[in-house]
Amino acid sequence: MSILEVSNLCVSFREKDKATVVLQGIDLSVEEGSIMGIAGVSGAGKTTLLRTLNLLQKPDSGRVIFDGTDITSVSSETLRILRRRIGVIFQNYNLFRSKTVLSNIAFPLLVSGANKKEALERARAMADELGLTQRLDAYPSQLSGGEQQRVSIARALITDPKLILLDEPTSALDPLLTSRILRLIMRVNSVHRVTVIIVTHDMDVVKRVCDRIAFLEMGRMVFSGATHDYFARSYLAGAEDDHSTRQLENAESLSASSPGASLIKLVFWGESTREPVLWKCSKKLNVMVNIIYGEIEEFKNGPFGTLLVGVSGEDSTEFLTRLAREVYSMEVLS
Amino acid sequence: MISELVRATLESLYMIFLSGFLSIVIGMPLGILLYSFSDSRRFITLYRVMDLSVNVFRSIPFIILILLLIPVTKQVTGTIIGPNAAVFNLTVAASPFFARLTENALNTLPRGIVDSAQAIGVTYRQFVLSVLIPETLPDHILNVSLLLINLVTYTAIAGAVGAGGLGQLAINYGYYRFQWDVVLYSVIILVLISQIIQLVGTRVAKVLRK
Repeated sequence: MSILEVSNLCVSFREKDKATVVLQGIDLSVEEGSIMGIAGVSGAGKTTLLRTLNLLQKPDSGRVIFDGTDITSVSSETLRILRRRIGVIFQNYNLFRSKTVLSNIAFPLLVSGANKKEALERARAMADELGLTQRLDAYPSQLSGGEQQRVSIARALITDPKLILLDEPTSALDPLLTSRILRLIMRVNSVHRVTVIIVTHDMDVVKRVCDRIAFLEMGRMVFSGATHDYFARSYLAGAEDDHSTRQLENAESLSASSPGASLIKLVFWGESTREPVLWKCSKKLNVMVNIIYGEIEEFKNGPFGTLLVGVSGEDSTEFLTRLAREVYSMEVLS
Repeated sequence: MISELVRATLESLYMIFLSGFLSIVIGMPLGILLYSFSDSRRFITLYRVMDLSVNVFRSIPFIILILLLIPVTKQVTGTIIGPNAAVFNLTVAASPFFARLTENALNTLPRGIVDSAQAIGVTYRQFVLSVLIPETLPDHILNVSLLLINLVTYTAIAGAVGAGGLGQLAINYGYYRFQWDVVLYSVIILVLISQIIQLVGTRVAKVLRK
């Protein structure tokens, strides 16, 4: 079941009589309990899309259906109540400077009319879960960036939201803190059964935590689907940000030294990634397989491997037919 | 002479703090409205009207404003001289001033904090009371010092047209009777009052700025 359904969303910014189109015809569907990544380069409209999902940014047209309700057409009163079920973790955390860590975390509960004592108790428990027990009475300005982020996560989780939105959660963190926060996001996702949408420009974040990815380019969505599918396609297409460009340079010089060999790009995903697929497919065949470059990465939804091989020999065609059945996807380059 | 000085000082303090209090009570909500309306499409006309009135009131020199207000002052306080009449004039002059100061302070609230509050789903009332004012409180404290110090000056001006207080003392005894020591003492006391107000304001703001 999808918790969030976006259809034909268009957003533009108006300044005097000049309008800049920021998002155009965005369709998006987010499964309940999944982690979705919104990726793209800076200025692609990622943050605007995220802000539109809880209507901090009003769209020009299109619908945003959250948990069965079209939030673009409800009264501001209803929107206010709905927003309490969507937690937001802003890029620069936006904590209340005048409130202590404890009051920051408890604030969303107090706002929705909870009993003060109970709210503080739950805030304490939440702070404990996020390792903030020592800092309850500190003010945001006294916290490190990582601590501020955890307060912001605690504040977003305290109301038991169905959905949390994270804007560039790792952009200000060092690699160690990044790993920690990504683990935390995965834990929150499974423990609190909350759907997560992460805006990021770091494809590594997408690989490590996202089930699905929506990729934006100049305000349009150019890909939406499973994470491994995205990376399989960009590997085969030889995307700029991939290793494949470098691999190909190596490969071309290599194929020059062994004429007659065809170059094959292979993508493995899931179970077969760790199996001896090349051996299995080449059994009893007269082929020579030359491994040029390969790597295996641990994606959130399973191991993902890419491999560049040179193939020659009289049974090459049969070998490729067998191979095509075993791998996730492949492409014959030459 | 000392008893005269003490009486005048007390009168001045009475005028400064009472009109200061009233200006805050009137000006602060006006400032909050200005802040809220400036951002809303529905109330933008209302904002422009309020914005203009604040500017008009602020651009009239205080001494002229007192003269213009004479009929109203008489209606409201029953007299046009003495501390109470002055408090009325001072409040009329200082409320728009404080409204503008408040609006400016509220405008320093980062957009991100407003987003944060909105995403949490606060009502307008909760936003004003739990986010807007607490988050900008140090600025409001500094504004209050600024207001009160301005009122010290205004009160002295009002003294020239019969309000009483240190301003009137300085003019009547000092300027008209050439008792320059009275002018000197009055000025010293006025400076002291201003210094104390500023010092307290800065201290409190510093403590509140987290």
